[in-house]
Amino acid sequence: MTMLLELDHISKIYGDLKAVDDLSLTVPAGEWLAIVGSSGSGKTTLMNMIGCMDTPSKGSVKLEGRKLEDLNATQLADVRKNMIGLVFQKFYLVPHLTAVENVMVAQYYHSVVDEKEALAALDRVGLKDRAHHLPGQLSGGEQQRVCVARALINCPKIILADEPTGNLDEKNEKIVLDLFRQLHEQGTTIIVVTHDALVASCAEREIMLNHGVLVGEKWNDPAAKAAYEAAGGRPASTGSTAEDAQRGETAIGFADPTKAAKTGGEA
Amino acid sequence: MTNTGMFFRMLLSAVFRRRSRAAMAVVASLVGAATLFCLAMVCIAVPQQMNQEMRAYGANLIVTPAASTDGSGDKSGIGDDMVEHTTEMVTAKGAAKYATYRYENVRVNAAPYVMAGVDAAKVEDLNHHWNVEGDWPSAGKVLVGRDVADAMNLKVGSGITIGYRASDNAAAGSDASGSDGSGSGNSGSDASGSDGSGSGNSGSGNSQQMQDGRVSSDIMDTSGTEFRVAGIVDTGGSEDSIIYADADDVAKLTGSTRGADVIEYSVDLSGDDLTALVQSINDMTSMHVKAQQVTKITSSDTRIITMLQTLFWIVSLVVLVLTLVGVGTTISSIVSQRRNEIGLRKALGASSRSIGVEFYAESAVYGLVGGLLGTGVGYGFALALTTAVFQRSLGFNWWLGIASVVLSVLVAVIASVPPVHRATRIDPAIVLREE
Repeated sequence: MTMLLELDHISKIYGDLKAVDDLSLTVPAGEWLAIVGSSGSGKTTLMNMIGCMDTPSKGSVKLEGRKLEDLNATQLADVRKNMIGLVFQKFYLVPHLTAVENVMVAQYYHSVVDEKEALAALDRVGLKDRAHHLPGQLSGGEQQRVCVARALINCPKIILADEPTGNLDEKNEKIVLDLFRQLHEQGTTIIVVTHDALVASCAEREIMLNHGVLVGEKWNDPAAKAAYEAAGGRPASTGSTAEDAQRGETAIGFADPTKAAKTGGEA
Repeated sequence: MTNTGMFFRMLLSAVFRRRSRAAMAVVASLVGAATLFCLAMVCIAVPQQMNQEMRAYGANLIVTPAASTDGSGDKSGIGDDMVEHTTEMVTAKGAAKYATYRYENVRVNAAPYVMAGVDAAKVEDLNHHWNVEGDWPSAGKVLVGRDVADAMNLKVGSGITIGYRASDNAAAGSDASGSDGSGSGNSGSDASGSDGSGSGNSGSGNSQQMQDGRVSSDIMDTSGTEFRVAGIVDTGGSEDSIIYADADDVAKLTGSTRGADVIEYSVDLSGDDLTALVQSINDMTSMHVKAQQVTKITSSDTRIITMLQTLFWIVSLVVLVLTLVGVGTTISSIVSQRRNEIGLRKALGASSRSIGVEFYAESAVYGLVGGLLGTGVGYGFALALTTAVFQRSLGFNWWLGIASVVLSVLVAVIASVPPVHRATRIDPAIVLREE
């Protein structure tokens, strides 16, 4: 098992505020990782750094062994369009383009536009018959599915999803999670930022941030954990001196209160 | 579908599926283009109209026989073939009207006067400002200047006996034509009139001859040819002291046929163009003619046109700046509303350049549509204005129309440079940061 993503003591500092504090993490190809934590815990900042949309103040990010800090803006844009598929909480579809055109935008910036392929991607998320509707004519769940179709159209190595079900009802949440499950089964690496326990529990592995500090890590899939450790994978760690920080080689388990709320007390 | 096809699909979608915002930008361009085009059309039409009006105030170019080496003029005047040749040179540079004048010193009741042999139709066509009571001269009928009429108490229909003495014109013919040239430094019309009078005086001076050891004078000789007064001309200038007759009548009266002393041109040129024409005629020494501008006409013409053009440029500049501000503000607003979209495109891997190209192309479309509509509206306004003020129709100037549309596109693109430049520097992370 090779490590697709390696974070080596990365920090993001705004003045006196450490949005992410000295985090080290490795993610193998094909893993489904959830980054959980409350609002303001640094999840999105971490995701921006992984997605080449932001650079760490300290430390190093490696994607397929290539250090991102050595790349200029154009090269980072290339990495973004070639390796990463993005799914946002607020969907961020271009409002004056139809569903299929929104998917084709990703193709346009990546390589060559292929409408049939874009329609096939929409078919995959169950929206072929809504392909020529504008985002304003689609429900929230449908918009998020368009967003997923756009993320997977270029066959990215990683799908980064920021609160992908944050604006969806349970039915649409299930549809989107099923889509992620399918992508994961096909070997796509998925990193989901969420504070939703149900979404997090679908992932093989969860790490928890609190005020930018890694405070816990747990595996929901023992087989995946075993494979990870067998490949030389080590628990995530932080160099932070915060009291509850997860330092060293031992993972600290955690119970997410929101999970308890959603699952009826089952931690 | 190719990527180029997708580019235009995105472009047209942005324009036609966001109609209200697109309409704002188009209207801003339309107003600018309409104002600029209307202004330009009017300011091109006005100098042309002014030029035409000024042409009605007489000649702006006179041609006289060149002085010969001994200082005297060519007594045979400018022959018909040379008149034709000179006119060809003039009309090659611009539309022109012309009239020829043959000046002779004559006597009426023994008093000396200058008579001009003319083609009445051409003189009338050249001098719309002449106030003629009665008719223009024709065979057997003359047009007398107001001063002449007053001096002899002439009225339209009166008889007038005009005598010709060859001795009066022994040197006067050359005086008339030769000194016209020098006089025309001030004014062509003034020059020809006053010179004519001057030569008349000199003519009478020369009439004194020695006979049997005494000075013999025919000063009391009132014989001559009877003419009718067809009309009286009143210009307030030197024309008022001249008698105008049909060229054939003058030939009969003098008993000789010769060329013109002066050709007056009203040519549709001004400033440097007119100066160049004068120079080109004078450079042709083999023609034996001398061309001069009528400074009074050309300088006022040039001054008025220069003032109008200066006004045009100043107003145009102000309108251009206002258009830039208007279009710039509108585009800036549109770009600001699309910050998230720009951030998203960057997150999807778009380069700053490709985003810039997309927005500049979109601005160009707004400028193009606004420019086309604005040029049409501007032409409508210009047409209404020139019809109401100048009572003349206004043809569509295609070059100006194309320039107006191109300028609208340029203004829209230039106005969008600062907001688009700011937009392309948007950090894509803002799309994810927004909660």
